[in-house]
Amino acid sequence: MVISMLDPFVLRAILGIFFASLSVPISVIMLLRGSLFITPEISHAALGGAALGVLMETFFPGLGDPFPLVLIFCVATSIFVCRMGKGEQQSLGMMLSVSLAVSVTLYAVIRTYLPIDKRMVVDGYLIGDLLLLSDTTVLSLAAASSVATLATIIFYREFLYICFDMETAEALGLKVGLYDSLLFAISAITVAVVARAIGVLLSVTLLIIPAATSRLLTKNVSRMLVASFFISILSGFAGIALSLGYNIPTGGAVALVFILFFLITYFMGRIHHSRRLDGFLP
Amino acid sequence: MSGSIISVRNASVRLNDHTVLEDISFDLERPSILMVVGPNGSGKTTLLKLLLGILKPFKGTVEVLGLNPFEDGKKLRRLVGYVPQKDKISYETPLKVGEVVLMGTLLKKAFPRSISKEDIEAARKALAYMGMENLWRSFFNELSGGQQRRTLIARALASDPALLLLDEVFASLDFESQGNLLSLLRIFKENRKTVVIVEHELDPIIDLADKILVLNRKVCAYGDPWDVLSEERLKPVYPCLRSLEKEGRRILILGDKHA
Repeated sequence: MVISMLDPFVLRAILGIFFASLSVPISVIMLLRGSLFITPEISHAALGGAALGVLMETFFPGLGDPFPLVLIFCVATSIFVCRMGKGEQQSLGMMLSVSLAVSVTLYAVIRTYLPIDKRMVVDGYLIGDLLLLSDTTVLSLAAASSVATLATIIFYREFLYICFDMETAEALGLKVGLYDSLLFAISAITVAVVARAIGVLLSVTLLIIPAATSRLLTKNVSRMLVASFFISILSGFAGIALSLGYNIPTGGAVALVFILFFLITYFMGRIHHSRRLDGFLP
Repeated sequence: MSGSIISVRNASVRLNDHTVLEDISFDLERPSILMVVGPNGSGKTTLLKLLLGILKPFKGTVEVLGLNPFEDGKKLRRLVGYVPQKDKISYETPLKVGEVVLMGTLLKKAFPRSISKEDIEAARKALAYMGMENLWRSFFNELSGGQQRRTLIARALASDPALLLLDEVFASLDFESQGNLLSLLRIFKENRKTVVIVEHELDPIIDLADKILVLNRKVCAYGDPWDVLSEERLKPVYPCLRSLEKEGRRILILGDKHA
């Protein structure tokens, strides 16, 4: 059976990957900030938000997709971690454990009270399927990723200064606490979008690999941001094609292509580096 | 307003429930070069942060260039240049030298901090003064330690500050760069600008400093260099201090450092 690109399921999957990729460049900034490790952890907050959203929808039908609540949960967790952890790795790790414990407990407890069909919606956040995105979800992803992209472009310079030299930035009048919280909030929006698109379990690939790969490709920060978007979108489309062609789960296929892209870039970089070194040898 | 360039009155600062500065008082009445010395953990960097308004004293008052750093912080920061210790910089962020130098000017501008021709000219001039004009497009994290310090000093100079705060800038500079920086400080002095330098070692600028503040959580000594640099005043701060007399000249050895 040949599946058309215009098939609504495929089209929504393509749009899902596009919007997820659009919000991915903030991960590059988080990588430079030394805080990228927290983004996959924050994705667990999405589970708690999804469970609560679905529970509320069960009691108040008509509330619709739980994505707005997922977004609120991720942003609140991220800002909580940022403010309470005060940017230090050890405190950040501790705050993450607290938020993770709360979210996972919430997810596990609420899930037991949900009817089976609602459980599937919550579990969709754990192991997402791009091909099952609804029109409403795609619209939510579009809105959230547009906010993340715009904020990254507008506050790019401030974020970069925080990453490079937080102390001087503060000394010269930049409201470091405010911009740092904003950076964490935008990163949380990205986490929510990616978790909705491919699920919490595989979100780490989209949140970390494009940023890490772009860093291998260029030293220029703005080029890194652009590269992370293209890596993400190309790998995502290739993953969807692989999934449709070989009838394998979309999330897994997308993750595999991402890892493949990273490995190719890494080994090509190593070969290039060793060739350059060879030039110096007698 | 006291009319002093810097006036600190009975200021005490607490960090994580520990008092790091206690009852600090000193006045810098005219534009001059103030050198702050003291052992590790004596509160030298905290003092700079107090002057910048980043840290607030729980007791006492601070006035810098006639402004209260906590109420007129915005105004004050436009007049100040700051060079932090090198371990405060993230070498993971690949900024170009030009971008780093422009940072000093752009951070003092209101959002959206657009770059003007004048900003670029001022940044290039500051970089040229540090002898690095050809490195504008180089990556900061690929420079040598000395070049990185010079870039950070250029960043502080680019906005033509009235007060320059330097935190251990001589530490990783080679002799040539130290010489450049000393001549720069001389020009600052001639132009009646104020420089506060925090250093571990006394020797780089001992001849240039107008005042010396010996700090060890409290002000141990403050005054003209040759009044302060006496064995009895430095001994409580530097227990390993030794004094040598040779051909009418006195040499003070602070542990393994000498003045």
